[in-house]
Amino acid sequence: MPTLDGGLRIDAEDPRDWQLLKSITHDAVAGDEKLAQRLGNLITDEELAPDWREYVIPDLEEGFSSAVLHVTTSIAAARLESGGGPGPLWITRDEAFHWYSALNQARLALEDRFHFGPGEWIDPADLPPLRRAAFLRSQFDCAIQGLLLEHVLR
Amino acid sequence: MADSDTLTRTREATALAVPWNVVVHDDPVNLMGYVTWVLMKIFGYDEKKAAILMLQVHQLGRSIVWTGQREKAEFYVQQLQAHQLQTTLEKAA
Repeated sequence: MPTLDGGLRIDAEDPRDWQLLKSITHDAVAGDEKLAQRLGNLITDEELAPDWREYVIPDLEEGFSSAVLHVTTSIAAARLESGGGPGPLWITRDEAFHWYSALNQARLALEDRFHFGPGEWIDPADLPPLRRAAFLRSQFDCAIQGLLLEHVLR
Repeated sequence: MADSDTLTRTREATALAVPWNVVVHDDPVNLMGYVTWVLMKIFGYDEKKAAILMLQVHQLGRSIVWTGQREKAEFYVQQLQAHQLQTTLEKAA
């Protein structure tokens, strides 16, 4: 839920909720090809590509990793604070982009692996367990992104 | 020799003067509202212009979001990629 200081608060109710939150960063780093590399590979102009490989891709990689690390630390700290039971997780305005970035990385990695496509056409009940769990995580990530976008980033 | 120098300099000058397009491509993950927000943030576009460009990305698969000098175009591509948008750079036709 949105907070008065322009951030977001997520209330975990039990250990499963903390597990779900933890899955954001787990999914984010599970992709086969690093996102920075994939984006960098889009630059194919022979004059630009070497500079992109040398300077831009490492910068992108550092930014993406730093976002995931930030979110990992925030979740771990909030979980510790609550003893793994009911408790809040706060996302301040300053942290919002890190969160959005980590959630996007998680969704991209899930999409790469499971190829869901537009989610509105999928009935989770029709999916086998592993795919269903991944689909629900992706939907959860997307919902948090929507809240961040609506209440914090914009 | 002098002719060759002139030719080389002319080609370099022409290459530098060619404008470059910054192109954003559609992908299955980025939210439409996010793409609009990023275009507003990076280029300073108003919401209406950013939304039109976002819809081009969504409906046509790509949109030229900016055209101009190469160095600036490179900077914008880097910024857009840092926001995880699939972005390329191409010489304007």
